[in-house]
This record gives sequence, C-alpha cells and structure tokens, in this order.
Amino acid sequence: MPAGTILGIIGPSGSGKTTTIRMLMGSLAPSDGTVRVLGEEPTRFHRDTREQIGYMPQAFVLYPDLTAGENVDFVASLYGLLLLRRWRRTREVLELLDLWDVRKRRAGALSGGMQRRLELACTLVHDPRLLILDEPTAGIDPLLRRTVWDELHRLRDTGVTALVTTQYVTEAEECDLVALISEGRLIGFASPVDLRRDAFGGDIVEVTTTGTFDAAVLGTTSSVRRIRQTGLRDFRAIVDDAAVALPELVDAVGEAGAEVASALEARPSFEEVFTELVEADRRRRDGEPEQATAAAAPSVPLGRPPGADEDPDESEAVA
Amino acid sequence: MIQVTKSLTRTLALVGKELLEVVRRPGAMISLVLGPFLILAVFGLGYGGGRVALRTVVVVPPDAALPTDPAAYEAFQARGLRVTEVSANEVVARQRLANGAVDIVVVVPHDARASLEAGEQADLRILMNLTDPVMANYAGFLADTLAAEVNRELYRRAAEEGRGYAISVGGRALENIPPEVIASPVRAAPENIAPTRPAILPFFGLAALALVLQHMAVSLVALSVVRERRSGAMDLFRIAPVRATELVVGKVLAYGLLGALVAGISAFLLVGVLGVPMLGSPGLVAAVVGLLLLASLGLGLLISVISDSERQAVQLSLLVLLASMFFSGFVLRIAEFTTPVQVGANLLPVTHGIGLLQDLLLRGTIVQGWQVAALAVIAGVLLVTSWGLLRREMRPA
Repeated sequence: MPAGTILGIIGPSGSGKTTTIRMLMGSLAPSDGTVRVLGEEPTRFHRDTREQIGYMPQAFVLYPDLTAGENVDFVASLYGLLLLRRWRRTREVLELLDLWDVRKRRAGALSGGMQRRLELACTLVHDPRLLILDEPTAGIDPLLRRTVWDELHRLRDTGVTALVTTQYVTEAEECDLVALISEGRLIGFASPVDLRRDAFGGDIVEVTTTGTFDAAVLGTTSSVRRIRQTGLRDFRAIVDDAAVALPELVDAVGEAGAEVASALEARPSFEEVFTELVEADRRRRDGEPEQATAAAAPSVPLGRPPGADEDPDESEAVA
Repeated sequence: MIQVTKSLTRTLALVGKELLEVVRRPGAMISLVLGPFLILAVFGLGYGGGRVALRTVVVVPPDAALPTDPAAYEAFQARGLRVTEVSANEVVARQRLANGAVDIVVVVPHDARASLEAGEQADLRILMNLTDPVMANYAGFLADTLAAEVNRELYRRAAEEGRGYAISVGGRALENIPPEVIASPVRAAPENIAPTRPAILPFFGLAALALVLQHMAVSLVALSVVRERRSGAMDLFRIAPVRATELVVGKVLAYGLLGALVAGISAFLLVGVLGVPMLGSPGLVAAVVGLLLLASLGLGLLISVISDSERQAVQLSLLVLLASMFFSGFVLRIAEFTTPVQVGANLLPVTHGIGLLQDLLLRGTIVQGWQVAALAVIAGVLLVTSWGLLRREMRPA
C-alpha cells in the first residue's frame, strides 16, 4: 500500500474486514502468508512503530463518564504526549472535528455521530503516520459520513496513509485503492476506476437508437469487446476506451441503417461492480466459464497494488 | 529518559482516568463503602452482646419438696434460664415445648435422694426443641451448668450434715468452714489482662473495615479491567504502546489511593465517633492498611484476568466476600476450623488484615508478627501472577 493513499477494504458484514484489521494490528496471527505494517510484522511491533499508528476500533471503546476532552487527553497520554503538546493537540483535533464546544460534555451524553467523531479525534491526537480505521462511517448519518471522508482526504493530502474498512460499497469512490472482499476472499483490488473496468471488462457505453435495432451486427467493430442487447432499442457495449469507441459506435449504428438517439459512457454503481465481482468469483470457484465479465479476478497481489510497481521509488509501501 | 517520561505519562493517565471514573459515579462507591458500615452500625446498636434467657418450664414431681412458684427459681436466670412456669405434668410441658411456647423443659428427678442412696445417678432431664445447632450446643451447656449447680447444692447439704457430725465427734477445725466452701473448695476468678475491652461495635468495626477495604479493592479493580476488556479498550491499550506493567501500576495506584482515602475516613469515624481505642502507632496502622490494599488489589486483578465477563467477576468477588465472612475470623475464630481450612483462611488477605488491625488498635502492638510477612507475600504473589497473566493477554498474537 503506497504512502499517502486511502485504501478502502470494502465488503459486506462478516466478510473479514475486522479480521484483516486485527491481523494488521497484531491481535491475530495470519493462518497463512505474511503481514508487514510500516516494515514490521505486526506481532513484533516496536513501541516506536505503534506510536505511528492510529487505530479506531469498530465499537465505541471510550469512557462514557469522562468528558470528550478528557477522553482525547487520556488517549494522547497513552501515546506518551507530554502535557503542553497534549493540550495543544487535544484542542486541535477537537476543533478539527467540530467537538470543541462539547469538550466538557460527558462522552456518554454525546450523540452517536459525535461519539464517532470523538473516536476519530482520539485516533488522530498523536499525529499518526498510518491510520487504521475500522468502519469509521458505520451507523452515522450521510452528512457526517461526508465530513469524515473530507477529513480523511485532507489527512491523505498531508501525507497520512489511511486504511479504512466500510460496508458501504458506494464509499469505494472515496478511496484511492479499493480491496473488495467477500467471505474472507479478496475478489478485487485496484483503484475505483480500474476496479469498475475490471468488473465489466472495459468501459461501458450505453446506446439508445430511434428505432428497433439488433446490436449483434456491431460485433465486428474494432473497439467493441462485447455487446449486450438490453432492450429493443437499447444495447450496452463493453469497449476498451469509451472516448474512442463512442464515435465509432455512432458511425457503426448509422452504417447499419439506424439512428442513434443517445450514446453515453455509463458509470455503473459500485453495488453493481461489487455484485459483478462477487458473481465472477463465485463462478470461478464453481468452475463455471466466464460470462459477462472479463478481468474480475484480482491480478495484483496485496503487497503490490496497481501502479505501485510502475515507480516504486515514488511511494513508500506502508502496509 | 524519554521512554521513562512517556511511561510515567501513561501510568499517571491511567491513574487519573480510574479516579475520574469513580468520582463521576459516586453512588456505586458510597453504597460499596457505606453499605457495610451501616449494616455494622445496625448490628452494633441492635445487638446486646448477651444471650437471651431461654423460656423454661420446670416439671416438679408432686411428691418432691420443691417450690411450685416460678419466682422461686429466679436464680436460674443467672444461668441463662428464665422459668416462666412450674408444672407437675410433664406431658403438658412437652406439648408446650413442641408448640414452641417454651424453649426448655427441666424435668426434676422423681426421687434424687433415693437414687443417690441406691448408688445411682439421678437424671435431671433437660428437654429442648431446637434446630439451630449453636442454640442446641448452648442449651446443652446450660444443662451441664444446671446439673453442676444442683450437684453443688447436694454437696452443700451433705457437707452441712457431715460438718455437724464431725464437730460432734471432735473435728473442731471444720467449725469455721462454711458448707459451700466444702462443696466447692475452688472457684473460677477470671481476669482479662487485655489493655482494652472494646464493646461489640468497635471490636467488629475494625474487622468490618478490613473486610470493606478488601471487598472494595477486589470489586472495583476486577470490574474495571473486565469492563475494559469487554468494551475493547484493552485492544486499544494493546495497540497503543501501553505495557502490562503500566496498566497494573496505574490500576493499583488509583484504587490504592481510593482505598487509602476510604480507610482514612473510616478510621476517623471508628476512632473519633465510635470510640475505638487507637493504642498502636498510626504509621504502622497505615502500613498494614497499605499491605492489605495491595494484596486485595492483587486478588482483584487476578479475578479480572481469569473472568471473561462482568457477571463472572462479580460472582467471584462475592465468593471472596463470602469466604472472608466465614473464614477470616470476622465471625468465627480461625482456630475453631480444621487445619486445611485454617491454611485456606490464611490465604485471604483480610484474615491478616483483621488480626493485625485489631492487634494494633486494641492492643497497641502486633502480636502475630508473621501476619505482616504473610500479607506481604500474598500481595507480592498475587500482583506478580496477575501482571504475568495480563502481560500474556496484552501480548500480540
């Protein structure tokens, strides 16, 4: 995982996200393979290494009888921050997450969203290089989710690396890299754009004609990988590059004696991408032939994400 | 140096957090500490310290030359029997005993003199209807005392008759010796050389203080660790660079301070309000309280490490409390138990806490010096064992 990126581990509940986090934190040993975080095996972390990691667990683990400020101050102390720095950082993170005004309120009396932000504040208070956040957006409203992601993007821009798990598939768009997991298996690992392409075997162009049209006649068009008729006047084409293929498709339809009413590059939602990848993985495991998708299987192992081997000197592998 | 400073920061943070949590929930603390003291106060104020005389019916055979007026048996009251009725009918008396209307029926032998002259012992039958083994023992003791008293009376009468005969045949030396002296030439003259003779409340107050301190330390620290494990805070500690040593020291310091505060207030109440004498050095008393708290915190930590839920921790803490009530010398003397049980009793911190506090405050000195060493060893073993187990728990997989 390159430094200064956000890696999202996305999968439904029970897919193995928290187990992965626990392996990364050294609470669980891997049954197979190796895990290295910040260059060390998590089960043999040095103290200095631990101090560079900010961990936010899935459940609220702070102390409800302590105030918001006291909770942040306590966690800062656990990381060894001395008094003045602790005060400064506590104020900074509380202000950053819009909790300064409620710093004297007991954590147990805060709303669910505030508690989640308080946990994030505790995770950030010691200025970690690497953030490991277990479902930071679970159970909070969409507006607050937006705030959390904005904050993660801001941290990423300052060089912080973040590994985030989420069960909201749509949040894949917020990440620089996405690892899709299902039933403990990695079924996709790429940037969101590449993952979408991988799931469907290329860019998707959706075409609607003015009259009935049989898209099978377009099979010979050079930029088209596959065509699927989706209605009497509609079809979906999987192409290498939508920008190149769109004019070619419009011409090809015209040459076939029909007229294009609309032709757009489609951006399937990540629910569709995820479903497609899960189905492809299931078929592969069942030994069924590949159908609609092309490159659904992850082609890059976990330690070497797409792009990482293109210029390995530019980024430091942190996880 | 930096690591030491950071370690100190972490430890103090843990201390502060524990204290804040307790301060923010004063109700639990008050009930934990004041509850036992209130119960003790009710016990002390409500308990007279002596046994209530048993309601007694004396069955006197019709031909016996004994009084039939209950008032004539007033002397029995001193022996723990209150004669409420004198009856000639044993069947009726038994029925009253079975109904619970009386506690004891004393059946005077039909003709004691005749039995004696026949060379046989006469039975002074004492009938009781008690299921409480302690009361049954007590009643048996009263029966023996009563029999001895009757025997003494017989000796006295015989001595009186014998003395007249002896004097008449020239034994002038017996003239000045009263028959009761001849019947009972030796009598007990008890003397208590203890420097103080506290009343029931102050005496048990010290034991209650030791028990409260142990229970408070065990419960609070055990629940604190188990709650943190359940909430996931222990994972946070494991991942943050917190060491088991810092965690143990933080908890021990926090609850040790709290325990010392409770001990200080309680000692003030016991000495200043309830009038418990303070013959020993306050420094030594503080040292004993400190050792008791350390050992109790070690026990609480051990419970927290072996418990996988708050419920289990509470149950184990209550079991320790129950064992302490029975075996620590709080109610029953340890010497009255069998040797294996005595060994077990001596493994409880409160056993030594009670003994040492009572010695120090009521006698002014430590009589059983080995108890100090025992308490220190218990504290050391429990703390080191708990630390080792906690360290293993906090170690990465």
